[in-house]
Amino acid sequence: MAELEPRATVGDETPTLEDLTAEEPRGDAGVRFALGLSFRTRLTIALVAAAIIPLAAFGILVLILDPTASQTGTIGRVLLFILVVAATSGILLAYLLAADLTAPLRAIAAAVDRASAGDLSTPIVVPGEDELARLADSHNRLAADLERRNRELGRILQAIQSGSPHDSPEFIAGRAGTDARSAFGMIDAYVLLVDPAQIPEEERIPGESLPIRAVLRGGTEELGVLVGHLPATRLWERADQDLLELYASEVAVAIRNAELFARVESQNAQLLELDAAKDDFLRGVSHNLQTPLTSIRAYADQIGRDRPDKRLGIIAEQTDRLSRMVRQLLTVTRLDSGALHPRPEVVSLAHPTRRAWEALAAADVPFRLDDRAAGWLAVADVDQLDQVLWALLDNAVKYGQRTAVTVEISPEPDTRRVRLTISDEGPGVAEPDRARLFRRFERGADRTADDGSGLGLYVSRELCRAMDGDLVLEPHVAGRGASFSIYLPGEPPEDG
Amino acid sequence: MLSGGLGGPAGHDAPRILIVDDDPNLLVLLADQLRADGYEIQTARDGEEALRRLRTAWPDLLIIDMMMPRMDGLSLAREIKGRADLPIIVLSAIDAGDSKADLLEEVAEDYVTKPYHYPELRARINRVLRRLGDKVPRQSLVLGPDLTLDLHRREATVGSEIVQLTPTESRLLYALAANLGQTVTTDTLLARGWAETEDADPSYVWVTMRRLRQKVEVDPNRPVHVQTVRGVGYRLVATDPGPGEPARG
Repeated sequence: MAELEPRATVGDETPTLEDLTAEEPRGDAGVRFALGLSFRTRLTIALVAAAIIPLAAFGILVLILDPTASQTGTIGRVLLFILVVAATSGILLAYLLAADLTAPLRAIAAAVDRASAGDLSTPIVVPGEDELARLADSHNRLAADLERRNRELGRILQAIQSGSPHDSPEFIAGRAGTDARSAFGMIDAYVLLVDPAQIPEEERIPGESLPIRAVLRGGTEELGVLVGHLPATRLWERADQDLLELYASEVAVAIRNAELFARVESQNAQLLELDAAKDDFLRGVSHNLQTPLTSIRAYADQIGRDRPDKRLGIIAEQTDRLSRMVRQLLTVTRLDSGALHPRPEVVSLAHPTRRAWEALAAADVPFRLDDRAAGWLAVADVDQLDQVLWALLDNAVKYGQRTAVTVEISPEPDTRRVRLTISDEGPGVAEPDRARLFRRFERGADRTADDGSGLGLYVSRELCRAMDGDLVLEPHVAGRGASFSIYLPGEPPEDG
Repeated sequence: MLSGGLGGPAGHDAPRILIVDDDPNLLVLLADQLRADGYEIQTARDGEEALRRLRTAWPDLLIIDMMMPRMDGLSLAREIKGRADLPIIVLSAIDAGDSKADLLEEVAEDYVTKPYHYPELRARINRVLRRLGDKVPRQSLVLGPDLTLDLHRREATVGSEIVQLTPTESRLLYALAANLGQTVTTDTLLARGWAETEDADPSYVWVTMRRLRQKVEVDPNRPVHVQTVRGVGYRLVATDPGPGEPARG
């Protein structure tokens, strides 16, 4: 039976099996060849050929050597009959034999298909000791190994997923040892967070428990080493070592993450502390500056009520200015840390405008309020609105060079907003200054440094925006001064 | 001298105010100013002294500073509010944007920053005093399946959602809740929601009530709880209990 030679020849177990699985990537049943004939058909043909060719040769030889036999007819017919019977039984036998020989191969192919589909638990049973039986055995062993490693991998994945970024590196290391022990069936396993070079490799003594190790690699860094022992009977192959090293690198990543997380946490805590310290500091500054100003202001008011004096008015106005500047500075720090929560209430803009103007005590500057709100109310935080109005009116007086200041209030029903425009009749804003006017600590180029903090417009715009509004510099109109507009959410009037 | 209908209960000759502040200058000054306007004033230098004074006499209103030695304003306000619904005005040099001020604002009725403008402080005091005698439950006020008010926390639960109320909205609701089911006039609401110095007019009430309705009514176009009484004022109504309740003949 030399025809059993093609690839199916079972001499060397592993490569053959690999060939078989490699040839069936699409999962077709049976082993096919280039001609399209199955292995069984080819084997049948080969066996038939092997049985019939000598027989036919014998018949032909007889006919040639004994020419009379062909004439007698009987011998010829007998010969023909024998040939037909031999051929028929030969084909039948050959088919049965081929079927018997290829059955284990088919079983193996089907098992490999099952294995590749994920079913590793059904072993192939091929009786006997021949090459096919050995092939089936190695498949069964491979399937068992695969299944075991799958199980290990499953446990490893579970172990990795159960981690939390809140765990400390030591905790992760401790748990990783326990997890490795149960996942790989080790006698003992530890993760040591030290330089792996410090832990000498153990020698392997036959018959004793098998030492294994894997380095915890996180990137290029070696964070530690996983060491442990396996039962002496346990096989430990390249694939097992690969899996262990994969696990070790996952543990390394988890430890690295935990360290980073802990660092971020502690930095966060520090920032919160700093923030609280800053709040305390600002609170102290505010308290210590505003408390004496409160007394000065209140005494000036009280004395002024008993004995009216212009100088007391100046004291009151200047104290007010000073306390507003303190407040403005505090507002800037609040804006920076995002800790500004406006409390929007409905308010008619005319009243706070008039109050802010009175607080400025600029009696020598002509002031006109043109209220065309037609019942529309703005929605704003009254305290913050007061800061904005005061800063804008103060600017109008200062940079308008004490020319007339006009405030115009009008609704914008389309956008459901209310607009308030403050204009002076001074020189206006120079072109190069327009773009940088709203930046922090910016003043117009020709404005002297002792005029205010340079924060007024920046704070005002940010406050308006915090109230869902805006502050804009209106385009320059020839012959007119600077003109700023506040836009705030508006509410149309309602009939009572 | 007390302007604008200081609606204290009968028998109150002069409203009693306890001022708690660690700045002796301010204590003397503010006490003088308020006494000149007819209020009965007591002072305390810190929270502990204030609590001692509260043991013997119960004022109509407290004015407290936020930063004080030993016991700060927030602890004092919480301590007092834990015992009774005594109105508190915070008078502090810390502006209202501060995180601690935020907390205190939730407890106190009003927040005035130093340096104060006396007429304004007086107007705010009067506004708070107008609620004397009002009885509003300290716990949740359930008005129906879709509306529960927690005025002491400035919150309303609309359906299953919690909405924050502004100080003015809470003040108006407080006045309405104290007269549940009855009409409260627009003028009364105006006096309760705004201080005299704010120059508010009835349109403030109308627009604020409209905004309030948007917040607390499930369908603002068909208000169930906040009802308008045309030409008069507003009424806060508790709806019937759920449909499961048997009707009574």
